[in-house]
Amino acid sequence: MAAETTPNAEAVGAEHGAHAPAGVTEVAAAHGGEASGGLPQFRMEYWGGQIVWLFLIFAVLYILLAKVFVPRLRKIQDTRAATIAEAVTQARSVQAEAEAQAKAAQAEIDDARARARGLAVEAKAKAAAELAASQKAEDARLQAQMDEAEARIRGLRDQAMTNVRGIAGETAQAMVEKLTGQKVTAAEIDAALAAQGAA
Amino acid sequence: MADPMHQFEIQKVVDLPSFTLPGVGAIDMSITNSTVAMLAAATLVILFFAVTTAKAAVVPGRLQVIGEGVFSYIDDLVVGIIGHEGRKFFPYIFTLFMFILAMNMLGLFLVFTATSQLAVTASLAVMTILIVIIYGVMRNGANMYKLFVPSGVPWYMLILVTPIEILSFLLRPVTLALRLFGNMLGGHVALKVFAGFVVSLGALAATGGVATLGYVAAALSLGGVVALTALEFLVAFLQAFVFAVLACVYLNDVVNLGHHH
Repeated sequence: MAAETTPNAEAVGAEHGAHAPAGVTEVAAAHGGEASGGLPQFRMEYWGGQIVWLFLIFAVLYILLAKVFVPRLRKIQDTRAATIAEAVTQARSVQAEAEAQAKAAQAEIDDARARARGLAVEAKAKAAAELAASQKAEDARLQAQMDEAEARIRGLRDQAMTNVRGIAGETAQAMVEKLTGQKVTAAEIDAALAAQGAA
Repeated sequence: MADPMHQFEIQKVVDLPSFTLPGVGAIDMSITNSTVAMLAAATLVILFFAVTTAKAAVVPGRLQVIGEGVFSYIDDLVVGIIGHEGRKFFPYIFTLFMFILAMNMLGLFLVFTATSQLAVTASLAVMTILIVIIYGVMRNGANMYKLFVPSGVPWYMLILVTPIEILSFLLRPVTLALRLFGNMLGGHVALKVFAGFVVSLGALAATGGVATLGYVAAALSLGGVVALTALEFLVAFLQAFVFAVLACVYLNDVVNLGHHH
C-alpha cells in the first residue's frame, strides 16, 4: 500500500497517523478500519483542504459575480427602468400634444360652424331680398300688361257699342219703312233713340 | 445494505501536495470529491449567468428572464431586510445563495453533496459571522455593545438579557452551520435508507414464500424515495434561501444598529 502512494501523500498520512489516503479504494479501506469513528464529516484530516478550497472557489465565484455578472444584470435592469420611464414620459407628452391638437381642431370646427351659420343666414337674406325684388318687378310688369289689356278691351267695347247703335238705327229705319212705308231719316231715328234713351 | 454514510466519505480524486500552515498543521490540498462538487457548483453558477446574460437586452429573452428573476429575487430580499444600504452586501449574499443552492441541487443529481460536509457549512457560517463582526466594528466602533444591550430595557433586566444576547450571538454561526449541514445530511441519509430498503426488501421477496409480500414494502419504499426526492428539492432551495435570509438579518443587526426599522 505504501509503495503505491506518492511520497507526499505518505508524509500526510504519517503526520495524521490515522491512515494513508491515496486512492479511492484505499480510502474506502481506511474507512472500514475507522467505522467506529462516527460520521465521516467529523474526520478532521479533510477539513483543512475543504476549507481552503472552499474559500478559493468562493472567492473566485464572488469576484466573478460581483465584478461581472451583478453589474451586468444591474445595468440592464437600470437601462430597462430608464427606458420604460422615458417611454412613459414620451407617451405622456405625446398624449398631451394630441389632446391640445384635438382641442384646437374642435375650436376650428366650432369656428367654421359659426361662420357657416353666418353665411347661411346672409345667403338666405340675400336670396329673400332678390326674390322680393324680382317678384315686385314682375308684379309691376304684369300690372302694366293688365292695364294695357283692359284699356284695349275698353276701347274695343266702346267701338262695338257705337257700332251697335249704328246697326240698331239702320234696323229701325228699315223696320219703320217696311211697316209704315214711310221713309224716315237717320236724324229722326237718332232723335227717337235719344228720346227713348232719355226715357 | 449499502452504508448510508458512505456517500459522505471524502475521496481523493487528484493528489496534490499539502502545505503546512503555522499553528494549524499540514493542509492536504488534494482535490477530493468534495472539491469537485464545489468546483462543479461554482462552474454551474458561472455558466448559468454567462448564458443568461450573454445577450443582455432591454427586452429579455427566455433565459435572461430566469437570470434576472434570480437576481431580482435576492436583490429584493437584501434591500427588503437591510434597506437601501444593503446594496453593498448584495454580491456577497447573492454569491452565498447561488453557491449553496448549486451545491444543494448538484447533490441531488450527483453522488456527493458538498453542503453535507460540516467543514463547508461551518466555513460559510464563520465567514458570514466574521463579515458581520468586522463590518459592525468598522461601522459602529464602540457602539457595537448596543448589539447586546437592547435599548429601553431597565438595568436590572439587562443583567439577564445581555448574557442571553451574547450567547445567542455566539450561537449564530453554530446554528447557521448546523442547520444547513443537518438538513442536507438528514435528507440524503433518509433517501439512501429508503433506497436501500427497496433493494433489500426486493431481494428478500425474491426468496419466495411469505416473503413475496416484501415486494409491496419495496414498492412503498420506492414511493417514499420519490416523495423524499421531491421534498429534498424543496429543502435544497429552502436551506439556501434560509442561509441567505439569516445572513441578511445578521448584517441588518449591525448595519442598522440601534434604530430598528
